[in-house]
Amino acid sequence: MDDGVDTSDTPAEVDATFRTLRRVAVGYFVVFLLAVAAFPVLSLTLDWWSSSRLVGGMSPGFLVAGFGLYVFFAVLGVAAASLSSAVEHRMLGTSREPVDDDAPGSGEDLP
Amino acid sequence: MTGSAALALAAALALVATVAVVMRPRGASTVDFYLAGQRVGVATNAFAICGDYFSAASFLGVAAAVYATGLDGAWYAVGFAAGFVPVLLFVAAPLRRFGEFSIPDFLGRRLGSETVRLVAVGVVQLVILSYLVPQTVGSGITWELLVGEGVLGLDPYATGILASTAVVTVLVAFGGMRGTTWTQAVQFLLLLGALVWLAATVVAEGFHYGEAVESISSVPLDNPAGSTDGLTPEQSALHPGEPAVFGEPGARYGGLGQFALIVTLAMGTAGLPHVMNRYFTSPTGTAARTTTVWVLCLAGIFYSLAVMLGTAARDLIPAAVADRPWLAELTVDGVLRVPEHALPVLGRIFGEDAGLGVVAAGALVAVLSTIAGLLLAAAASWGHDVYERHINPRATQRQAVLAGRVTTLVTACAAAGLGLAMRPESFAAATPSIVATMVTWAFAVAGSALTPVFVLAIWWRRTTAAGAVAGMVAGLVVAVGMFTAGALTSGGLLREVLVTPTLLAAPVAVVTAVVVSRRTTPPADVERSWQTMHGTAADRRAERIARLMLAERRAARRWRRARR
Repeated sequence: MDDGVDTSDTPAEVDATFRTLRRVAVGYFVVFLLAVAAFPVLSLTLDWWSSSRLVGGMSPGFLVAGFGLYVFFAVLGVAAASLSSAVEHRMLGTSREPVDDDAPGSGEDLP
Repeated sequence: MTGSAALALAAALALVATVAVVMRPRGASTVDFYLAGQRVGVATNAFAICGDYFSAASFLGVAAAVYATGLDGAWYAVGFAAGFVPVLLFVAAPLRRFGEFSIPDFLGRRLGSETVRLVAVGVVQLVILSYLVPQTVGSGITWELLVGEGVLGLDPYATGILASTAVVTVLVAFGGMRGTTWTQAVQFLLLLGALVWLAATVVAEGFHYGEAVESISSVPLDNPAGSTDGLTPEQSALHPGEPAVFGEPGARYGGLGQFALIVTLAMGTAGLPHVMNRYFTSPTGTAARTTTVWVLCLAGIFYSLAVMLGTAARDLIPAAVADRPWLAELTVDGVLRVPEHALPVLGRIFGEDAGLGVVAAGALVAVLSTIAGLLLAAAASWGHDVYERHINPRATQRQAVLAGRVTTLVTACAAAGLGLAMRPESFAAATPSIVATMVTWAFAVAGSALTPVFVLAIWWRRTTAAGAVAGMVAGLVVAVGMFTAGALTSGGLLREVLVTPTLLAAPVAVVTAVVVSRRTTPPADVERSWQTMHGTAADRRAERIARLMLAERRAARRWRRARR
């Protein structure tokens, strides 16, 4: 059963993928840290954040701690996992048979 | 205990025991006993990780912390859920691709050092014990409330600890990772079911979340003051001199304290041995990553419900005291003496004894599934990393599995002994939830000593064995030192940071590991490790084999059909 994929990776391919994945992971981690750190900063600096009432009597701070952050973590996780898997799929395991230069997408680079 | 409560509990335990028997390991190999043959699917593993991770601290502790301190208690839920973001970004896929049996095994092989392995075993055992003790405390609390009676002259609290530890030790020793995976998956579904049932019942009875938050936030937040009668208003840590309010931050933590708690919990998850060991059971690195996404989504549902129910308990219990004489001895002026009673009491108010049975079964299931994961992690690190590698390197598979089983027994006895020495009432005034607080200690040690070294070993080629050992020791010493100092400090910003030490201890561990690594030589086979961790060749091979097996099975089915 030939599915057109190689079952080994070259060191250069792995290194390039590793560097791309490291950028992805660090980028998403910075976004995660900023979101988590924003809560105490907002609590200390904005009265509105803790004492105003929005949906059904909850403050923006309570809404975010009760629901919003979990939704944010899930969305962040889905986005990071999709991007990481896409990077691996594009950068590793492609067949090393000669590439047809005229084939659509053959010259496409990763962002 | 009434018939209906006993029935709910017995049904839950019977289901779990049946699954353990049906899914027991078929052979005597260590890969089967510790890693369930490395063939656990995404959904099953996600449920099992949730069963492993959502412990008494999550089920009883989060609702208790919210009940006692309002919005500040929700930081436990946020921190527990946030922990899987760093796991997803930095650990899940490369860890699985590298393989091995345990965190010490991974570090030992990646860095080519038995010293690293043994130091990691020591740290892992400390994390496991710190995590096990609050689970046993949770089982004692639940038994006390559900059954209310002891056996063989023991009090109910002690009976709960000993009975639950004994049951789970037998299940783990018998079922290994395969049985434990399936029982944990079923246990998580039972746990989530109990939480969803309670939330649905409370809402159906007229509870309005937003209105409740607004109503209980209109008065100062009061809690029982230690052993004396009467309530004491909590003081705001954000606005000194002002009373704390349920719906606003400040009842327990200042701004830095909130951040320090979340960082401690978020960074600790990636160093929890029982959770990380589960990743080795995934068939591929990509499956491990997808599993983590599932866990993040399930954690969001679970913790948002726990926060809502903690709020519901604060809002509804005071009005229920007048009509329910049994609540009088559990409360002071309408406020629970032990915050961990919040969910079981809510269950009994809205579901009578059967409701208490459902919630208590959920709590015991949470305790049992986490204890199971911790005992297996202890067995893997003692049995595989110490016994097989150092005590008896020529051990047969049967002897190695036996060593793992004996380890589960010894670790369980130690945890039960420490649990018996702890009484939650003694800590009620000092902490919003003793169960959640004790689990935080485990997260702090894991996040300070293991996670930094773990992440460096995966993402930095220059990491050396000496650097890893120095990093683990530095993180551990700083974390434990800060904890000890925090216990001796009374209140204030300093104490907040001292009792959630990862914010300082993890950077110390990283700097130490980097400085020492730069002065020593990395392992010779680092490129091969990189190929294994960051390449996907093994994943593709596994997927190819799975496709071939599937095609073969389909062809065999077609052939059988054609013959008929």
